[in-house]
Amino acid sequence: MRGYFDTLKLIVLMALRNLFASWLKTLIVGGIILFGAALVVVGTALVDSINGSMSRSVIGSVAGHIQVYNAQSRDELAVMGSFQLEGADLEQIDDFKKLRETLLALPNVRAVVPMGISGATVSAGNTVDVMLEKLRDLVRRQQRGEEVKAAIESQKDHVREIVAVLGADLANARKVMTDKAIAAEDQAAVERASAPNFWQEFDRDPLGTLEFLENRIAPIATDADMLFLRYVGTDLAAFARSFDRMKIVDGTTVPPGKRGFLFAKWTYEEQVKLKTAHRLDQIHDNILKRGKKIATDLDLQHMVKLNATEVKEIMLQLDSQQKDVFRAKLQRELGSQEHDVATLLADFFRVDDSNIMRRYRFFYDELAPSLTLYRVRVGDTLTIKGFTKSGYVQSVSLPVYGTFAFEGLEDAQLAGALNLMDLVSFRELYGFSTPEREKEIAALKVTAGFRDIDRDKVESELFGGGSDSAPAGSARVDARAEGARAGEDGKDIKDVLGALAGARRQVRAEQSYDPAELEQGVVLNAAVLVKDPRSIARTMRDIEAAGQRVGLPLKAIDWQKASGLIGQFVTMIRAVLYVSVLIIFAVALVIINNALVMATLERMAEIGTLRAVGAQRRFLLGMLVVETLTVGALFGGAGALLGIAIVALMRRVGLPASNDTLYFLFSGPRLRPGLSALNVAVALLIVLVVSAISSIYPGLLAMRVNPRQAMQADE
Amino acid sequence: MQNIVSVNQVSKNYVLGSVVVPALRGVSLEVAEGEFLAIAGPSGSGKTTLLNLIGCVDTPSGGTVQIAGQPINALSERQLTKLRLHTIGFIFQSFNLVSVLSVFQNVELPLLLQRSAGAKERRSRVEQLLDRVGIREYARHRPSELSGGQRQRVAIARALVTRPQLVLADEPTANLDSLTGTNILDLMKELNQSEKTTFIFSTHDARVWAYAGAVVRLADGKLVDRVSAEEAVRVGGVGGLPGGARTGSA
Repeated sequence: MRGYFDTLKLIVLMALRNLFASWLKTLIVGGIILFGAALVVVGTALVDSINGSMSRSVIGSVAGHIQVYNAQSRDELAVMGSFQLEGADLEQIDDFKKLRETLLALPNVRAVVPMGISGATVSAGNTVDVMLEKLRDLVRRQQRGEEVKAAIESQKDHVREIVAVLGADLANARKVMTDKAIAAEDQAAVERASAPNFWQEFDRDPLGTLEFLENRIAPIATDADMLFLRYVGTDLAAFARSFDRMKIVDGTTVPPGKRGFLFAKWTYEEQVKLKTAHRLDQIHDNILKRGKKIATDLDLQHMVKLNATEVKEIMLQLDSQQKDVFRAKLQRELGSQEHDVATLLADFFRVDDSNIMRRYRFFYDELAPSLTLYRVRVGDTLTIKGFTKSGYVQSVSLPVYGTFAFEGLEDAQLAGALNLMDLVSFRELYGFSTPEREKEIAALKVTAGFRDIDRDKVESELFGGGSDSAPAGSARVDARAEGARAGEDGKDIKDVLGALAGARRQVRAEQSYDPAELEQGVVLNAAVLVKDPRSIARTMRDIEAAGQRVGLPLKAIDWQKASGLIGQFVTMIRAVLYVSVLIIFAVALVIINNALVMATLERMAEIGTLRAVGAQRRFLLGMLVVETLTVGALFGGAGALLGIAIVALMRRVGLPASNDTLYFLFSGPRLRPGLSALNVAVALLIVLVVSAISSIYPGLLAMRVNPRQAMQADE
Repeated sequence: MQNIVSVNQVSKNYVLGSVVVPALRGVSLEVAEGEFLAIAGPSGSGKTTLLNLIGCVDTPSGGTVQIAGQPINALSERQLTKLRLHTIGFIFQSFNLVSVLSVFQNVELPLLLQRSAGAKERRSRVEQLLDRVGIREYARHRPSELSGGQRQRVAIARALVTRPQLVLADEPTANLDSLTGTNILDLMKELNQSEKTTFIFSTHDARVWAYAGAVVRLADGKLVDRVSAEEAVRVGGVGGLPGGARTGSA
């Protein structure tokens, strides 16, 4: 045994001295191995860390560990990263209670949160609409005898200012566009509303004049009045319990049993806030949090440019009194004699790195208090128009209770693009039946004289043929024909009726629902949170098996799949990393192999001598393998140490998330990568395997050397 | 005395493309234990080929070779290697020391390959031999730091360290000046006498024949005769070639 050890010692010694003798070759080969090992350590540590942080983001925001939906669905479920406004085409799960009970019976399931994801356009009204609504409200109060004359005068003045802004806009447009491109009726409408006698007419017939303003003037002000919202309908209490990173930012959560809507804070800022203010926030945050500079960042420069050119949104909010105040403040702040408030605002928003912080403070301290910063405010009622599954427009009006965000993911678009509403309202928007709707439909049927008819009798029933039923109104005829086309069991006719009834329905905002409804009704999908996240795959199999047992065709997908495109991101990075590592080590393999072949050829005489004096072939193979393994171990080890040092440095400094997507992937503003023994072990293993493989061919070559070659060689 | 080497009607052909080149033709030779035998002949006479066959680094095309009673044709590659390790020592024309090892390690190498001796035993054997060949003070030096004669002394120590029955030396003085060559031959002769080790060396240098107990003369792959050293010196060249021609080995 000692003999073996001494021989091994000699082999290692020879290997080391041979390496040292050809140090340049050793350095080149070693350098590649060092780089490869460091790359593996840093790369796998980063990918693992991103995977970890991303999973925290995805699991903690909306997906949960596992998502469950009806296996008979046409589309695959993707809770995040979908670019469609409507959600995926999923078959419903009829009985959530049954689903919940089935899943909670499984050992690893901690919680089941019901869900339905969809999207809708929401009309929030533009600035002019808001102002006209205020004026209409004042007029109504005046008609009821309240003393609001001063308020009406002020509001009238504001509307006059708005018309002046729109008139100036049209005049500007005429400078750059042909007359044909500007609608003649818009021009006429603005001219009429600007005329002095128009406002005398207002005093005579306020409601008629208001109607003209609402129908003809408001549409000309094209500041964004549509919101595109994606939302999750869910049991909000269960949601908040299960996703504990969720926190209310403004307002309150929706009280149990109440209908309501919660804006994701990110969406609220992005879509609902005054654009100029939002852009100013973004410029400010990018400079403060991400160390960007306006002078060097094209995005920030673009935002500055937009803010300077799009002051109309603010101008429309100002009446003449406010304009005077703004003028005075801006003239003082800018040290300018300019009279035009729009020009002053444009100058004010033309910020640079030296004045941004001061102007940001000035905006919020001096200007913002006089402005409506959010088009929809907490407490307002939002009318959400969505499409039912069968394609009809359905709408519900919901009070906005507040805004929410996920802790650590405040700036991440992916975590902030989904808003929340109660599940009952979601079901209604999506066209599912609820007991109260069933009742309403039954009542409507009675009052309108509806009855179900066979498909083949539709024609005779509709267009005569001795029927004794009196023809109903045209709406009813359309609806019945649609219903007959769409389905045979009369189920879809409910959608039609629902759509018709929507127009007449009283706002349900204040209505409550029975919390038991949450449990019993229909859902599209459900988030499952598990006790032990390591056995997600097994739990998914258990869920599908349990579904089969109770007759629920369930499909379970893990958070990575449920998060759609974003979930595949890490898989993609991992693939890129592995391909790079593969290429580097393939190159290393070829280079080490070549270097060793050269070395073997150079050492033919020495190898021949060793063979002649009695070294067996395996001694020579061992010598070469030990030589490469020594290089591998020395440089691979050094590379791994370098990798560990780099990861430690990254951990200390933190990799900044330079955009919203990275913010989500890093689960916060900075990624502090962790390192596991596995990362280092993988690097060393790859290095050693590559070293061993690359010494096979030179080893074979050495084994073939004939001891005769020792006799023929010169030193 | 027993024969350590027994070569019987041995022929060796090398195939170069489509041409068969005969290197040895029906050579027979017996070498007894303790002999100090020179194989003489001009370049291309087959000296090195015969030495290769005796050294078990090559196998004959015809005939038989027995080393220490073992017929080499019947042995596997592994067994031949083992036979070389335990029975034969080699001294090369170009010394063939392992450049990255010290003098001590070079000499110790065959003992390590044998794996039979412990460290202490190895050390004492190596030191004893280095003493014997007169280069103990260079034990820690690398071969590149030594002169040609010193290197050949290291090679001799390496060849003898395993106490082999047979030492083969291929033109051991060819790369040395005549004084150094003489010293090396003196050393080999001395070791032959003190250790009773059989020495067979090839040479085309007539001046070194005098050291041999007997000289086997080869020409064109055939054994011409086997004569005493004195006879060989007296006759001079082989096959009409003048002795002492300093051409390369066959």
